[in-house]
Amino acid sequence: MTNNANVAAGQQKLRSKRGHERRINGTIYTVLVIMSIVWLVPFVFLVLQSFRSYKLEKGGMVDYLIPKTFSLDNYAFLFEGSNFFSWLGQALIVAVAVAAVTAVLIHVCGRLLDKGEGEGRGTRVALLGGSLLIGFVALVGLTMALQGFALAGSWVKALISLALFVLAGWIMARVYLKQDSKLLRSIPGYVVEDKHEGLKKFCAMFAEFGALALIAQCILAPMTMSQYVRWYGNTLTIALFTSVIQTVIVLSVSYALSRLRFKGRKLIMNVVLILGLFPGFLTMITLYFLLKQMGLTQAGAVPGLILIYCASSGMGYYISKGFFDTIPKSLDESARIDGATRFQVFLKIIMPLAKPIVIYTILMAFMAPWGDYVFASYVAFGHQDGYNVAVGLYNWVNTNDFQNYFTRFCAGGVLVAVPITALFLALQKYYVEGVTGGAVKG
Amino acid sequence: MASLKLEHVKKVYDKNVVAVHDFNLEIKDKEFIVFVGPSGCGKSTTLRMIAGLEDISGGTLTIGDRVVNDVEPKDRDIAMVFQNYALYPHITVYENMAFSLRLRKMNNEEVHRRVCQAAEILGITEYLARKPKNLSGGQRQRVAIGRAIVREPQVFLMDEPLSNLDAKLRNQMRAEIILLRKRIDTTFIYVTHDQTEAMTLGDRIVIMKDGYIQQVGTPQEVFETPRNLFVAGFIGSPQMNFLKARLVKNGGEYFAELYGVRIAMGAEKSAKLAAKGVGGQDVILGVRPEHTQLVFDGRDGTIEGTLRVNEMMGSELHLHVDLADGTSVILRIPTLDLTEEQRRGLIYGSKLRFAFPEKVTHLFDPKSEESLLF
Repeated sequence: MTNNANVAAGQQKLRSKRGHERRINGTIYTVLVIMSIVWLVPFVFLVLQSFRSYKLEKGGMVDYLIPKTFSLDNYAFLFEGSNFFSWLGQALIVAVAVAAVTAVLIHVCGRLLDKGEGEGRGTRVALLGGSLLIGFVALVGLTMALQGFALAGSWVKALISLALFVLAGWIMARVYLKQDSKLLRSIPGYVVEDKHEGLKKFCAMFAEFGALALIAQCILAPMTMSQYVRWYGNTLTIALFTSVIQTVIVLSVSYALSRLRFKGRKLIMNVVLILGLFPGFLTMITLYFLLKQMGLTQAGAVPGLILIYCASSGMGYYISKGFFDTIPKSLDESARIDGATRFQVFLKIIMPLAKPIVIYTILMAFMAPWGDYVFASYVAFGHQDGYNVAVGLYNWVNTNDFQNYFTRFCAGGVLVAVPITALFLALQKYYVEGVTGGAVKG
Repeated sequence: MASLKLEHVKKVYDKNVVAVHDFNLEIKDKEFIVFVGPSGCGKSTTLRMIAGLEDISGGTLTIGDRVVNDVEPKDRDIAMVFQNYALYPHITVYENMAFSLRLRKMNNEEVHRRVCQAAEILGITEYLARKPKNLSGGQRQRVAIGRAIVREPQVFLMDEPLSNLDAKLRNQMRAEIILLRKRIDTTFIYVTHDQTEAMTLGDRIVIMKDGYIQQVGTPQEVFETPRNLFVAGFIGSPQMNFLKARLVKNGGEYFAELYGVRIAMGAEKSAKLAAKGVGGQDVILGVRPEHTQLVFDGRDGTIEGTLRVNEMMGSELHLHVDLADGTSVILRIPTLDLTEEQRRGLIYGSKLRFAFPEKVTHLFDPKSEESLLF
């Protein structure tokens, strides 16, 4: 009897405990839901407003959230007077065509090469060279046809585009030979680990040709730009250059500080740490005058801004140095004994292992100039062609007719968010993914 | 394949911490040398200096005919196996092993041939396409060794390669290293803190302590004629017993007196002692546990003790015995030598008597800790 009573009491207790937990969870979820709504509302508002036509539903502030008619007028305005889409379309067509033709050619070359395995080296090289040459001639013919080469009309341009495609073909031939040759496949136990490897290879190839086609397009057929496209282009140029340069500098500095023992290492780290505590804006006026003397303000704002953003990048070494410190030193030592120079160790061993931190550094280096307003606004200082998107859009709602430009401002904002969102979605898995498993006894 | 010469090699850290003092050693071509010693004795530092991973603070290091003090590791033509394997985690086993060859721009056929050959020697052919994280500890160790083999280096360095493996695997890998050494005939330098590994692998053993070489010799030599107290205690398991005794000279013969027992040193040792001019003095008598005998028949010249611990090791017993003055002695007695009844009598607190055969006793000077018989 008492036993049963005890059990009952115990169950009662358990139930009340569960109830308590449920209440706490309920509260937490409620708070989280409210917070996410608070966070999301401005974005939803921005996106919705960007679809409200500036022609049909005038006015900056209206008393309804959802536009009466959805239209793409605002977006159309952003690209008005620019041949951006046809320009991009051309480049895409070139990229697709060239990638497809190359894929076929590379396969043919590879088969020929494998067939020639039993024969002498000379024969194989001749086979490869011959087939590649034929391939390139075909490629150039295709490019010329697609680009309306006759219209471009300059031998320099033709040579540059030729060089680009030769380069691409050469890279792909190497990739093919490395990954798919008979030699590798003859290793017992060698299996293609990833069954999507072929697809991935093709995607990589396409991306490569896409990039090359874009460069070729820039040379062969210049784009006429609307205001917004120009600003966007400025921002993209600044952000890309900055992220590349800054990443290289930051990673080299942190690797050196993590691995090399030299005189004054501690001192440098401390001094840089203290210097980094001063806000960058302190130097704003000085920087402006320095840039002005070099002619890097107003019309020269883009290179000027790249210079500013990259200038002190070595100072952000802490995080990546901390990461490098966690990669066992014996890997470096092992590689050095295996015959690698310091630079080869860095490139071939450390870089692949430091992928998360490389991604992080690239993202950070890309985002800072992408969203920067302060430096961009005073370096460009009134010169519209030197604006980045943030400054340009601000000017729309500030100096121009606010009521008229508000929805177009929203559309511009939405487009600014696109690449950064895509970058994050694509790269976020590397954020958490460590790849050092199995290096040393762990 | 090369000989090595270390002359007055020294390592000083931070201007005042000396890790290795005046290291002198000549290593012959194709010799298997083992550096052994407790942790912090400078053995790994010496190895790393040979590899080029640490600067040499003084002295000269010669590999072959070339002084390599200031030569980069990659140009020394050496290979090294690390304690923690140090495999490149982002590439397959095949590429791990091919890494050094690719850096030397060797052609693909040759790389393939060498990697496959090494993989076959080590029995890791079926793992070639895997990444290191998908391998067990023993397999990783094999890959690490394979990575060194493919280089066909002049000198093969191994830094405690087995210390991360479990006991069974360690014994197996030890045997494999002996076989490996027969197949790839080159100079080996092997660092370990495990005296069993040192004894079984080395042609010669270098015993180190606090940055000084204590003794260099074949396993037989260091076991039978340890130069000092440290070497005597370090080599052999369980450790050698050390007992305070008094050396007495009686005519041309020497005796050790301890616990009222007189042990004759025999003619050979007496001659050595006489040649050194040793008189009567306090000494430390060293007796290996396996060189002791249990005595049950109450004959003369035996020492009495109280049994504290009886460790049954299977084929033998390890008896920890306390003597009258509290000194602890370990006896190692083959189980087969005892009758069932005698064995049952060996319980905690029981009195027993034991003796030392004279020919295997060692004598050390208590002050200098050097052997009097060396």
